[in-house]
Amino acid sequence: MLELAIGIILGGCALGAGCAMIAGIGPGIGEGNAVAKACEAIGRQPESRSAVTTTMLMGCAVAETTGLYALVIAILLIFVAPGRFVEILLNAIK
Amino acid sequence: MAKIDPIVKKETGYIALFVIILSMAMEAVFLVIGKWDLKVLFGNLLGGGTAILNFFLMGLTLQAAVGKDQKDAAARIKFSQTYRMLMLFAVAGAGVLAPIFNMVATIVPLFFPRIAIALRPLIDKNKGGDADAQTDDTKTNDTQETDDVEEDDGI
Repeated sequence: MLELAIGIILGGCALGAGCAMIAGIGPGIGEGNAVAKACEAIGRQPESRSAVTTTMLMGCAVAETTGLYALVIAILLIFVAPGRFVEILLNAIK
Repeated sequence: MAKIDPIVKKETGYIALFVIILSMAMEAVFLVIGKWDLKVLFGNLLGGGTAILNFFLMGLTLQAAVGKDQKDAAARIKFSQTYRMLMLFAVAGAGVLAPIFNMVATIVPLFFPRIAIALRPLIDKNKGGDADAQTDDTKTNDTQETDDVEEDDGI
């Protein structure tokens, strides 16, 4: 029974980490679209290259932060949460 | 080796400066709460260094992508983002698992560039204020010149 409970905890944590990393898809697509549009803008107005590049750089960094949140949640679920949950379970049994 | 765009250098410098300032603030917080040790310092160095490196690599990718075709640029960015995410995963994983790094001190600096960007409008606002003042002066001078011309025409 204890093995089953630990298995459920580990499986739940892994599933949660996987679900969290779905958020990592968005920034890649968003950054790709932003850069594609920036290329188009620079092609139309080459003199605005520096302004567009600066704005794009900052925009991409902001977009990437959402992926970073997901990454941190996933790492905590994989490396930290299982140990804590199993510890809580063992304490509850005792 | 490709030449680094001055914009990338400038922005990376700005981000690096803020990461250093915020890292010092974080170290101070650890000192105040009495939980500072070498693990915190190592974790902070790892996390802060990775945050700056991540931003710099993103800048280099953008620099390379700007001159390309739209589809090619988008694909290049997605490719780069995947590898940078893997790098961050490895670093954060090392920060959590390795006993010589403090977990919090490794993960928190990864968000410092976002804070730096959020604070940027405050810094630009001061510069923008001067620029607005100059613009107003220019407008005033232009208006005066126009008035003079109108007066001359009237005479």
